This record gives sequence, C-alpha cells and structure tokens, in this order.
Amino acid sequence: MFGTGLANALFGLLALLCYAGATVLYVVWLRHPHVSAGRTATVLAGLGASFNFGFLYVRSVALKTVPYGDLLGSMALFGLFLAAMSLILEARHHDRSLGPFLMPVSLFFLLLSFVVPGGGEVRPELRGSVFAFHVTLNMLSYSAFAVACALSLLYLVLGRRLRSKRHILNGPVSRFPSLSYLERAARTSIGVGVVSMAAGLTMGFLWAYRVWHEQHPEWLLDAKVWGAGGTFAFYLWIFVRAHRGASPVTTARLAVAGFILVLLSYTAVNLFFSKVHSFT
Amino acid sequence: MPPEIVFVGWNHQGSDLDLRARLAFTPETAREALEGLFRERILTEGAVVSTCNRAEIYGVSEVPDSFEALAGFFSRFHSVDGVVLREKALSGRGEATVRHLFRVASGLDSMVLGEAQILGQIREAHRRAAEAGTARAVTGRLFQTALECGKRVRTETSLGARPVSVPGIALGLVGRIFESIAECKVLLLGAGETVELTARLLAGDGVKQILFANRSAEKAKALATHFHGWTVPWEDRAKAFADVDIVLSATGATDPVVTAAMLKPVLGRGRRRGPLLILDLAVPRDIEPTVDGLPDVYRYDMDALGELACDNAKDRMTDVPHAERIVEDSTQKFLGWLAGLSHVDTLKTLHERFEKVRREEIERYSGKLSRLSPEDRAVVERMTETLLHKILHNPTMGLKEGDASERLTRAAVVRALFKLDDGE
Repeated sequence: MFGTGLANALFGLLALLCYAGATVLYVVWLRHPHVSAGRTATVLAGLGASFNFGFLYVRSVALKTVPYGDLLGSMALFGLFLAAMSLILEARHHDRSLGPFLMPVSLFFLLLSFVVPGGGEVRPELRGSVFAFHVTLNMLSYSAFAVACALSLLYLVLGRRLRSKRHILNGPVSRFPSLSYLERAARTSIGVGVVSMAAGLTMGFLWAYRVWHEQHPEWLLDAKVWGAGGTFAFYLWIFVRAHRGASPVTTARLAVAGFILVLLSYTAVNLFFSKVHSFT
Repeated sequence: MPPEIVFVGWNHQGSDLDLRARLAFTPETAREALEGLFRERILTEGAVVSTCNRAEIYGVSEVPDSFEALAGFFSRFHSVDGVVLREKALSGRGEATVRHLFRVASGLDSMVLGEAQILGQIREAHRRAAEAGTARAVTGRLFQTALECGKRVRTETSLGARPVSVPGIALGLVGRIFESIAECKVLLLGAGETVELTARLLAGDGVKQILFANRSAEKAKALATHFHGWTVPWEDRAKAFADVDIVLSATGATDPVVTAAMLKPVLGRGRRRGPLLILDLAVPRDIEPTVDGLPDVYRYDMDALGELACDNAKDRMTDVPHAERIVEDSTQKFLGWLAGLSHVDTLKTLHERFEKVRREEIERYSGKLSRLSPEDRAVVERMTETLLHKILHNPTMGLKEGDASERLTRAAVVRALFKLDDGE
C-alpha cells in the first residue's frame, strides 16, 4: 500500500489509532471533564505524534530524502505539526480545550494520506535542502493557520455565547480558554504562519527558478503559485490589520475564511488546477 | 440508656431569620452552652455548628429523651419560648444524626446548594469543640468523617464548582473574557456600598488600576484615595469606557447614566481594541441595553446575572444523586466504625488479635518446639496463654470502667493503638 514496507504501515496505523482514540477522549472530556479522560487523550495524542513521526522517519529512510515530496508525505507532516502544536499549547497553558478541535484535523489529514496516491520513486530535483525547507516551512505555516482557525472558531463560539448570556459558566463552553487568550494566541499563530510561509515561499521560488526555469518557463503563471501567493497576501493583510487594532471578531472570522483558502490551495488547486506543481 | 449520637438544630428549612438570629452562637456562647449541657449531664460529648443559616448541636447523650432535654436547655439558654423551639426544631438520633451532618458538610442541606463555606464552618466547630475538650472519640470522629465526606463531594462531583452568587458569577465572567483579572483596568460607576465592596474585592485580587466616577466627585475621590485608584470626572464617564477592560456600575440613578448614543463614538469600529465587560448591578439599570450592539461589548445586568445563577443552580441539581451516594457511603462507614466501638466488641477483637499473634509465634517456633516432649509443649502453650491474659488484664479492666462516654473514648483509643479496624 505504501511501498515503504511493513514498519511504515505499522507506524501509520498506530498513529491513526492513537489520533482516533485521542479525538474521542478529547470530545468526551469537553462534554464531561473527567480527569482520566483528559489525561488519556493527551497521552494518546503524544503517542500518535510519536508514531506519526516514526511513519515519516521510516519513509525518509526508505526514500533516502525528506519524506514529504509528495501529497501523501506532506499530509502526514501536516497531521504531525498539528498534533505537536496542540500538545505544545496544551502543555504551555495547561488547557486541553484545543485538543477536541485540532486532533480531528490531524486524524483527517493522516487518514487522507492513506488514500491519496504515494509518489513512488523520488525524482532527483526533489532532493536537496532548498526543497526540503520549502515544504517544511510551508507545512508549518499551514499548521499555524489551522491552529489560528481553531482558536478563532472557539473565539466566535465563546463570544456568541457571552452575548446570548446563557450557559457560559457551565457545559463545554466553560472549559474554553478566555476570549483574550484565544485572540492573542490566534494572532501569534497567524504571525508564525505568515513568517514561515514567507520563508517557505522564498525557498520555493528559489527552487522553482533553478529547476523549472528551462523545463517549465510558464511556472510563474501556474495556479498553485498564484494560490499560495494569494493565501500569503490574505494572511499578511489579516496580520497587519489585527496589529493595527482591528476588531478581534472580524479577525477571527477572517482567520476561519483564510483557512478555507489554505485547504483549497493545498488540496483542490494541487490536485485539479496546477500544471507544474504536482505531487508525483 | 446506652449512649447515642443525637442532634438538635434550627436552620433555614424550619426557622425564620429572626429565630435563627436569636439562636445563633458566638464562640463564647457555644462553649458556655456545651459546658451547661455537660454540667446537666444531657450530653457527654458535643460540638456546636453555628452559621447565619443554622444553629445545630451534635453530641453523645445517655438521657432517655435527649430531644426534650436539649430543647428545654436551649429554651432556657437563649430565653426563647420552649414551645416555639420544639415546633421549629430539627432533630435526629443515631444514623439520622450522622446522615444529617454529612449532608450539611456536603452542602446538600445548604440554602444555596453546594455552597463551599459550610465546610470551613464545620472545621471551625470541630476545632473549637476539640479545644474545649467536648469533642471526644465519637464526636471527634463524626466531625472528621463529615469533613472527609464534604471534601469527597467537592472533589468527585461538580456540586460546588459553578458559582451561584452574583459576585461569583461576575468573577466567572471575568475569567471567561480575560486571562488575568489582575491585569485588567476597571472603571467603577457610583460610590455606594456595592462599589466599595467591589473595589475591596478587586484590590484583594491584585487589580492595580481602578478608576472611580461618581456624581459627587468628593465621594469618588475618597474611594480613589482609599484604594490607590484614580478618579474620572462624571461628565467624562463614557469616554473612559474606551480605555478600560471592565466597567461595573451601581449608582442609585433612576434613569440610565450611560446610553448607547454616548458610547457609540467611543466604542465604535476601530476605537478600542479587545473585549469590554460591563457589569450593571444597578436596579433600575444604569447602562442602556442597546449598547449590546456595539462590537466586543459584553453587558450583563442583574437579570442576566440572575439567569446565569439559575442555570448553574439547575446544573448543580444534576450532581445531587452522586453527592447523596457519597454521603450514604460515608454514613455507613462511620456507623460500621461506631458499631465496633462497644467495649464488648473491642475486648473480643483485642483478645482475638493477641491470640492470633500468640498462635503465629508458636507456629514460627514449631520446629524447635517439636524437640520438646508433649508435656513440655503443653507447658509452653499454657505459659504463653497466661502471659497474654496477664498483659491484657489491665486494658480489659480499663475498657469496662467509667461512664459510657469514657468507655467509648477508651475503646476508640485501644482500637486506634492496636489497629483493630485494619481488618488483619
């Protein structure tokens, strides 16, 4: 199925099971805050991230290069980054309320990496540090935008509940972090995403100029290039206006919309519109 | 009459505020009352739990009609009509007493279900009774178990987790919106008792930036001086909304003192950053409800705070069955301990435990003893039995001496020293 052996399949399957278990337990914890459910969810999320890393590592050894030159690998990396960010935020703020929202996304992308076709043999031009940095930094930025989206959704739900003036201090909403924290953390995540995407795109341009210049002289007009550039410009705009004191509610709405753009750029544009930026 | 755990009390369920106020105990009067109850031999052990909602006496009594004796005593002690006292009193004997105290400690019997202060009040009652020497073996253990039961209910259920008082709700809202109240800048409108109390609570929570605005600038200045805050001229009160995180208003005005029209230029799009929590504690309202439409403004008046309190109170009800199960479990454990406390049971268990030790030692040396003749082995058996009887003679006599309360106390000490309840 993966072409990278039994160990690869085993790590992938274990990561999938751990993420699924963690997702269920995080949701159970959100509904009824049993300490044991929360702790087990955290442990499973940690194990899932470790197995996810193992999955990528085994793949990297087999391919003799970074394991995310294709859509399969990049989706698995995206799942790993999300799980890791969720765990970092949980440890940093002693707060599990992001887990129920981020862990299903990790699970979804890892699951998706099972069904999309693997790249098989890695072409020589996909080896090298510039390409590796390009993919890693872009995946990091997408993960940061996903975290910002989850934080913004929580912000909007909590804000709406605060305005309705009912059931704020009980039920799942009572376990959300404060509005101020959600707003600040979402802004930081967008900042991290913008910086890493700027660096990732720069690396991508350098790599494309070197590799595609003669082979695909029209690469600058490719849908993926414009999709990624548009996504970056959109987030840069959100980031600047948020720092200039824009309403946090509007920023939260834009962060959610931005992530839809990321998903489109990452999946639909890659699979259906891009001519040269294909994961093969 | 064998000794029995009893209680008599007057609380919010049967007695009005006036009667409860007349029956309330200070630490001194509680001690006097217990001394009187001991002097008149109504109780041999006891403790008084006195809060704003209850005055209850728990203890061990050997008198046949302990309720009559206790009610009569308190009628004389508080100079209250005995008929009224008997009519309004709650009382219980044995298991009912244990269950009642455990329910009280758990907050199940409180006026506000699950309130947390009662546990501290029971701890204090126990401490005072222990200091006065009136909480002996049974009452001491009863109160200790009640405290453990109350803690279990608070740990294992969320009965007391959600606030139901206005200050608790207000603090809860602050926690939902801001990361730390200490970092917040607060504007207080008015200069009455509520504002003063709020300022004290805020200062206690480490809030360093408190602004005061009041029609009478002198009163605002006095509060600002007292709480190391600042004053805002009354006519600039709306402008100050742009620069603070929390506004609490509690003026005595009959019309709103802050309107949406006043706030719109201040809080409109791009004017301020971050959420603004407005707590309108005035009746009638100080802040016009239409300010709700402004961005990032979260306004709560007394109606909204009341509804949140109702939501939480309803939620607390869902945890009652779990809390009752904990109370029942603790009650049965305590009654099990109490049942084993009779001197007959204690003596029986003590002799069985020592006999077990003797037999184990004989067994341990059975190899060496097998070299002895049967006659010599019988001598060793008799000698160890005699030794045991002699060792246990004085404790056996001691457990049978004294009045019932002393016997219970001694039995409890013996059970604790020899770990007779450890089930070896």
